Amino acid sequence: MSDISTPALGPTFTAGFWKENPVLRLLLGMCPTLAVTAALKPALTMGCCVIFVLTCSNIVVSLMRNLLKPHLRILMFTLTIATFVTIADLILKAFAADMSAALGPYVPLIIVNCIIICRAEACASKNGLVVSVIDALGMGLGFTMTLCVLAGIREVLSTGKLMEVSVMPSAFVPWAAMGMPVGAFITLGLMLGLVNIIAKKTS
Amino acid sequence: MSKVKFFIEQSWLLIVAALLFGVLLAGAQTGLNPRIKANEEKKLSDSMKMLITDANHFELVAEDVEIPTGKKVVLSDVYRGVTQSGDIAGYAFIAEGAGFADKIRLVIATDVGFTRYMGYKVMFSNETPGFGDKVKNDFYSQQYVGAPIQRLELAKAGDNLVIDQRIVAISGATVSSDAVIKIFNTFGRKIKSQLQAQGVIQ
Amino acid sequence: MDTLNTLLLGFISIVLINNLVLTKFLGICPFLGVSGRIDMAFGMGMAVTFVVTLSGILTWMIDHFLLMPFGLEVMRYVCFILVIAGAVQLVEMYVRKFFPPLYESFGIFLPLITTNCAILGLCLFINLWEINSLLEASVLSFGAGVGFTMAICIMAGIRENLNLVDVPQCFRGAPITLITAGLLTMAFMGFSGMIK
Repeated sequence: MSDISTPALGPTFTAGFWKENPVLRLLLGMCPTLAVTAALKPALTMGCCVIFVLTCSNIVVSLMRNLLKPHLRILMFTLTIATFVTIADLILKAFAADMSAALGPYVPLIIVNCIIICRAEACASKNGLVVSVIDALGMGLGFTMTLCVLAGIREVLSTGKLMEVSVMPSAFVPWAAMGMPVGAFITLGLMLGLVNIIAKKTS
Repeated sequence: MSKVKFFIEQSWLLIVAALLFGVLLAGAQTGLNPRIKANEEKKLSDSMKMLITDANHFELVAEDVEIPTGKKVVLSDVYRGVTQSGDIAGYAFIAEGAGFADKIRLVIATDVGFTRYMGYKVMFSNETPGFGDKVKNDFYSQQYVGAPIQRLELAKAGDNLVIDQRIVAISGATVSSDAVIKIFNTFGRKIKSQLQAQGVIQ
Repeated sequence: MDTLNTLLLGFISIVLINNLVLTKFLGICPFLGVSGRIDMAFGMGMAVTFVVTLSGILTWMIDHFLLMPFGLEVMRYVCFILVIAGAVQLVEMYVRKFFPPLYESFGIFLPLITTNCAILGLCLFINLWEINSLLEASVLSFGAGVGFTMAICIMAGIRENLNLVDVPQCFRGAPITLITAGLLTMAFMGFSGMIK
């Protein structure tokens, strides 16, 4: 039941924000990043769902990590994640129906979001409960932060409003392209490039 | 027998977990389902209340009316808005048609005599943001409030404040604008004749 | 004749107009990862097409004959992902047995198809669009695979040329691929509205 070395909790938590940011450094979970970031509210909702599913699945996987047979573990992970995503989808439909309609099929796509399976494989299946939870929260918050930054940029530029509050001067002509796939890809590409530049300068 | 034993030995966790998760899902479903259903109904009645402001509550007068729309047959529900004192305030029905990108689903309201439209609300659409999406905006949707229930036409330019059968299109979104008009033209008169046949209206 | 019309239009629409990668943001991870060379991209595309067609048909049948009649919609996502995982496993065994060199060249990518958003995404879209005929579901699944293959091969062709050009150091790899994908999306936008 004892692990070889328990990673320190502080660095584990902050790793998800910059050094191992799932979207910007590990390049995982690109699909929802591009799909739901047209506006800030869906991005925030998606981020919360991912935090929920990631934490629950990490807890369950960590609890059963000593009972897993090696060749069935991916199946177990998938089953766990699918269950929690279904629950998250039901909760969303019950308490935030308009967000559920806006996010549409991208909520069940959290099942195949590489972040969750990768964290289950890399962290939760090898570490204790507390470490897994901290790791899940760190990664989830890092993901949510990235999503919100991207969504903020796209929403302000494509509609001049942030969460339906006007922030740009009235003379601003909205860049409708930012709300479309074009804007998503190009903005994310530029953000990745920027992150690479900053990472290179600080290393 | 040993094969079965080997199988169970390897996969007992899987079977137990599957059962547990099944129970968890069933629990979540039964717990949250009534709320989900209530949300759907609330969305419809809220939209209808915004269109027929005098109505206190809505009654279903015709269910699953079949309206053929080119490729598929749409089942529409027709509601009657009733005021607090029991008078009829207007009618509302579900209408659906093909938009630019995906289908557009509207709830359309009419006045008591089914002679004029009272406007519409978009229940579902997936139009281009910034362009076709503007069918949800007042500039376009207000043109339908008071429009006569006859064949509506699309006009590329004109005065959007004049209420008649000419509807001014959204600039840059002609297809989406036309899609809404087509939905009105397909459903308006067919629902009216269906209700007349059923004796609900004259 | 009308059915054939619908099928043909559905096929064209999912390959060009509603292309899963470029308009619905599905399958981005392999799109970025595997589009380095055209032969690898084409192989990945073929594998995905096979898996997605199989999965689309199987999930449609399970949905319509098992889940909906018995009111078990809550199990939908779990069933879908298990079917997809099973289909990928099947393809892997088949390829390993009959085409060993192909299996070697795929390496890690074949099991990775399970987490390809495009496959689960397509099964969910077929559900969302309320497709009621098995034939239409299978044509759309096949079309989705073809669309994915097309997008990934175009990207591979562009990237092979990008290798020869002077891209700034920090933009090499994922950033420039994403920007290129954005421009590709813009080009494909010209197809939208082609079919009413």
